[in-house]
Amino acid sequence: MPPQILRLCLLAAGIVVSYAVARFFLTPASFGQYGWFRGSAMAELADHERTYAGRKACEECHEDVVKKLAAHGHKTLGCEGCHGASQNHADNPDIKPEKLHFSTCVRCHEANPSRPKWHKQIVVKNHYTVGNCTECHLPHLPEEAP
Amino acid sequence: MKENASRRSALAKLGAIAAGILATPLTAPVRAATQKVLAGAGLPKGYDPSHHKWVMAIDANRCIGCGLCAEACKKENHVPQGHYYRTWVERYIITKPDPDSGLARGETLVDCPNGGMGGFKDTPVPKEKIQHSFFVPKMCNLCEHSPCVQVCPVGAAFDSPDGAVLIDPKYCIGCGFCIQACPYGCRFMNPETHVAEKCTLCYHRITRGLKPACVEVCPTQSRIFGDLKTAPPDDPIRQFYANNRVQALKPHLGTEPRLFYAGIDKEVR
Repeated sequence: MPPQILRLCLLAAGIVVSYAVARFFLTPASFGQYGWFRGSAMAELADHERTYAGRKACEECHEDVVKKLAAHGHKTLGCEGCHGASQNHADNPDIKPEKLHFSTCVRCHEANPSRPKWHKQIVVKNHYTVGNCTECHLPHLPEEAP
Repeated sequence: MKENASRRSALAKLGAIAAGILATPLTAPVRAATQKVLAGAGLPKGYDPSHHKWVMAIDANRCIGCGLCAEACKKENHVPQGHYYRTWVERYIITKPDPDSGLARGETLVDCPNGGMGGFKDTPVPKEKIQHSFFVPKMCNLCEHSPCVQVCPVGAAFDSPDGAVLIDPKYCIGCGFCIQACPYGCRFMNPETHVAEKCTLCYHRITRGLKPACVEVCPTQSRIFGDLKTAPPDDPIRQFYANNRVQALKPHLGTEPRLFYAGIDKEVR
């Protein structure tokens, strides 16, 4: 074999061996566990703090309110839709969720031509402008008057 | 010639050393230690990804455009401020056609002020000129054949076995190929971390038995979330498929989205 060819072969073999060594040590153990990706990435993505506690967490202490809500027109609403992200409140009940005001109701119920027709809507300036919605409506029991 | 021989023997020695390293039992702890640096925490206890197939469905007939989903997503996933959204709500307005034109439908206007966060107020055209208008929540279409995964050069974008299309932020090199590849515009480059980011179906929540944040706050159950492997027949996700005429976005691209919509017009892309 001509020496230059031999040298090239040895060089190629050296490159292949060093690649194999690097790959052996550097490929994460979980690579290929589920497919062509690092399996432990899923665990890392799952390890993330929450800001929304979820309805189950609300139910632990506020079962009465959740039950009341479930029987009325607002039954599809999640607690944190109106009351805001409450994981910190679930962790420490001394941290109170934000106080609600006018805009919470209007956000969904202000008339808008893009909203579906089945949804109850009002033109606020023709409806009531003096005070709060809760003077006449109970958010947890929307069909009943106070 | 002598020089050649010494080089040859040196290379042979190198090869022998490499083979020796691979063979010796000493490699196991060294390898484990190297990989420990690269590996992270485990999945939550009792969660086996092969036992689930998560899916989302959107009933646009029920969307009232409150924008709570877009806001909740931003808060839950610490999405950077500005025009970066993992989910957003679009408003479609189809105007009345010019009576002389003989057309059934007018122009299509689409807008999405601030991703729909804070809701939608004034319409861009007067109410009398609107023929039809509706809201369409948008998010990752959970493609069966995800173009974003196919183009990733480093194996950072992947289809997880439980149905989410995810990004490994440690492997992502920020090349942006996936952002160009997604036909639904569901990915963006995080300006702080410089890696691609997208909807994870709130992976940290669904692996703990919670719903994604957008589903949690949706007041009208426009977003329906479920597990195709474990859902009983009366589960909302099964009911959604049973009771609606559904469609996927851009079906001609062959991405086979697993996110289905009910109640959208042909104008929706």
